[in-house]
Amino acid sequence: MNNGRILAVLIAVTTVALVVAGVLWPISSAVGMADWGGATVLGLSSTPEAAVDNLAHEIGQQAWGKAYSDLGNKGEFTQAEFVRDLTGSYLSLRTHAILDSFEVRSLHASADEAQMQLKLHWSTVVGTFVDTKDLRVIRNGNRWEPVWTLVKEPRVPPQVFAVNYLRWDVIYRGPEDDWGAQDVEAPHVRIVDMHPVERGDGVVILGELLNEDVVPAFVSVKATLLAKNGSTIATEDSFDKISHLLLPKQVTPFLIAFHNVALSDVSSVRMDPSASLVAASADPIIEIRDQRLNPAPDASFTGQLVDQSGQVVNVAHVLGTFYDKSGQLVWVADRYVDRALLPQTPVSFIIPLPPDIARQVSTARAVSATYSSGGFQ
Amino acid sequence: MERIESVAPSTRPIPLSLILMVAFAVHLPLLLMKLPLQSYDANFHIFFASHYVHHWFDPWNAKWYAGFSQTTYPPLPQQWIALLSRILGLDMAYMAVQFAAILLLAVGVYRFSKLWVNERAASLAALASVFVGSESFLVYSAGQLSTTTAAPLYLNALPYLYEWVRHGKWRSFVKGTALFAAAAAAHHATLLFGSMFFAVPVLALVFLERNDGERTSTPSFVIRTVIISLVVGAAIAVVLLPFWIALIHNPVTQTPIPHPSRANYILSPEWGLNYFIIPWGALILVLPFIVIRGSAIVRLRPLLLGFWVAFLIGLGGTTPAGHLLLGRAYEVLTMERFAYWATLLALPFVGLLAAELIDRFRWRAIIGLSIGATLTCGLAVGWVSYHPADAATFKVDSVAAWLDRDGHDKYRYITLGFGNKVARLAILTDASSVDGEWNSGRTLPELNEHGAGSLSNSKYFAKAGLDALRAMLYHADHYGLKWVFVNDPYYDPLLSFAGWRRVDDLEDKTITVWSKEGAPPAVPLNSAQIPPRWQGLMWGTLPFGSSILAILVVLIPEKRWHRRGAVEPSTAAEDVAPGRLVI
Repeated sequence: MNNGRILAVLIAVTTVALVVAGVLWPISSAVGMADWGGATVLGLSSTPEAAVDNLAHEIGQQAWGKAYSDLGNKGEFTQAEFVRDLTGSYLSLRTHAILDSFEVRSLHASADEAQMQLKLHWSTVVGTFVDTKDLRVIRNGNRWEPVWTLVKEPRVPPQVFAVNYLRWDVIYRGPEDDWGAQDVEAPHVRIVDMHPVERGDGVVILGELLNEDVVPAFVSVKATLLAKNGSTIATEDSFDKISHLLLPKQVTPFLIAFHNVALSDVSSVRMDPSASLVAASADPIIEIRDQRLNPAPDASFTGQLVDQSGQVVNVAHVLGTFYDKSGQLVWVADRYVDRALLPQTPVSFIIPLPPDIARQVSTARAVSATYSSGGFQ
Repeated sequence: MERIESVAPSTRPIPLSLILMVAFAVHLPLLLMKLPLQSYDANFHIFFASHYVHHWFDPWNAKWYAGFSQTTYPPLPQQWIALLSRILGLDMAYMAVQFAAILLLAVGVYRFSKLWVNERAASLAALASVFVGSESFLVYSAGQLSTTTAAPLYLNALPYLYEWVRHGKWRSFVKGTALFAAAAAAHHATLLFGSMFFAVPVLALVFLERNDGERTSTPSFVIRTVIISLVVGAAIAVVLLPFWIALIHNPVTQTPIPHPSRANYILSPEWGLNYFIIPWGALILVLPFIVIRGSAIVRLRPLLLGFWVAFLIGLGGTTPAGHLLLGRAYEVLTMERFAYWATLLALPFVGLLAAELIDRFRWRAIIGLSIGATLTCGLAVGWVSYHPADAATFKVDSVAAWLDRDGHDKYRYITLGFGNKVARLAILTDASSVDGEWNSGRTLPELNEHGAGSLSNSKYFAKAGLDALRAMLYHADHYGLKWVFVNDPYYDPLLSFAGWRRVDDLEDKTITVWSKEGAPPAVPLNSAQIPPRWQGLMWGTLPFGSSILAILVVLIPEKRWHRRGAVEPSTAAEDVAPGRLVI
């Protein structure tokens, strides 16, 4: 064989070897981009872990057909029901959630059956949520197949729902109105409590804001940390750690985080609550039932939201305010509810509490904010 | 039989003028239709050009990222667009510059191919360049103006490199240096990697041929190579000095952003179609010929090796080669340009094969080759319809008008769900944004720390993109960010819960305007990245000047010379019997 042929063979063999290596051991950028999302390349479900792993990858890639066909109990429900179980029947955070990562843990295994825990970490526009599924995995010949249990989402029967709620409209000057510059006096709001706390990598300002007025207010709170020499250390606002729409006499907790700031460097805090007149409606009214503080370990604040009105609430946000025995505010935490709130249908929420905070907490209070697609802004 | 002889294809080279006419016929109508405006990056280049229209000597552009330096991107094509826009308007000026690049490519491929194969095969390679899928893919689908401008300049410089190192001709030295500098002013990466894939094979060719005909001693070879390397290096260092300064002060250390060109094309077939089948087209059938013929003929081996490395890297994550060879740069660069360079390196082989096929099969070969070329080009051009950069067809004129009235442009804005219309909007409005589409130019920590691209497309970057969006909205007051234009209700819950209010709607309520009350008016960022005045003067003078110089020196008449040893179709291989087709 002459040099030319050796070179040709060398190039061909090396190229094929590199391609094979790329398929069998894909580099991280290729894994991230792949349709198969990094699942077992040959798609084999030869162990319970591999079966759940493949299922999670397929869910992550929204390959619903493949995921459904991998289930051991697909005869019990349709593919559409399976998809609805994951994405929700109504528009909610689940509908457009993207699977960020997942964890598979074996709870129990025998020759023909295993119990696995699948934790799906979903990413949504307002943050992440975790969906934990305990799956039975059964052997079917050489394959293992997960058994999926549907979460039965209640269906609300068609009905006419009478509503009788307060509503406030605002007449603006006109289309040329400069947004935010209103000719009317701003609603009166007042900070009724405020505490700076050193926490993690920075300082956190906790507090509560009251709408003292008889009209609704669109509120926000800004805080500025001042150093001993009077200079400004940082300014931040409450972002989504507040309920921005306050009806008359309503109170909202707020939390403002400053990262990479030491409390010892802070001489004073300048609070700057703002409020503007806003058209608002008391609807939808959300009742918060069964509020309960659960002790450590896994300390949490739980309860149920019930939509008392006739419209579907697509996203609900629960803000928890936590007090110690003396009634002092010690913590503010929040959680988004990943399923839509249907009329008269309770939906659970759970707000985890840091262990050190949980030890101080004696009572808690929850408020909710809502978003309805195409609803009142 | 006699009749067949009388209409037999000519064995003479195709005149370059005819090849350019074909390029006119194929690409001019597509460019007059402004087809590239639908591509991913065309509006990005026009946006940069629009800044040069008004601020030729001030590369600090306040319209994106609350201010960024355009010295972070070589300016030559955009500056030409800016200049031509005085007559043609920005969009048509873009088309004119792109068209010039297409014509230069045919010339460049012809001249580059003549180093390796005979004149007839080189002319067929140049003709193939008009139809090559990767060129159409980059022009009409990717909108990579800089890459497609720099490559022809570079290809045109390489024969001068050969002549200088081989024959010591100072005229070639000057012309080559000017063209290399102009190519760098068009696209730095092309020069950097082109040196590996294109220049090293040419130097290897000189070395292989040093004893053929006019002898080139090894010391002469080394000295000339060192001289031109140093002079070209110095020229590029000076011409792009503000670019290097910006790179040193602000190295690309941000979290890598995923790009589908780095996918494994076998495991992700849709990206294989996009980044392999479409750019390569019928050239896939030529791959075995390239390997076999390139290995068989000693003087083609450097070209083969350059092609092979570019080909492997151009396969993205299909092989680990790109990751191994490029290191961290692999996570920053996109791989389709490597496939483009690989196809250009393949063209001399294509010309050789075409010449052999035509010699052997006459009209049947011509028909077959024409069908292959047409399908390859047609598929790549049509791909923009089947795989559009942005499926949403809405106008942003009303958004620009809204921003520019009633003092709204005192504040900064972002868009959500605007796809690749971010740059188009920035061209139209006077307002400034904290978002943009030039990731390497951004310095805001909220954007750099999460590994996502533009905020407007946050949801497509999953958690990384949404984290970046939340971080930016969280610090809205810091940047005077008051307006968010939303073309995708997906983002509405975040804005609603974060304290933004819907204040208006546009385009028949398909675009909603959200406002944050209490946001202070935007103030210019006192960024360390703002180039000093002398850099602005350099940036406005030297890159553009290098192209003017290149044009002038190339016009200096050249004494004709005849290459020895260029490969003749089917007769020059070491082990090839005359008249036998080898593939």
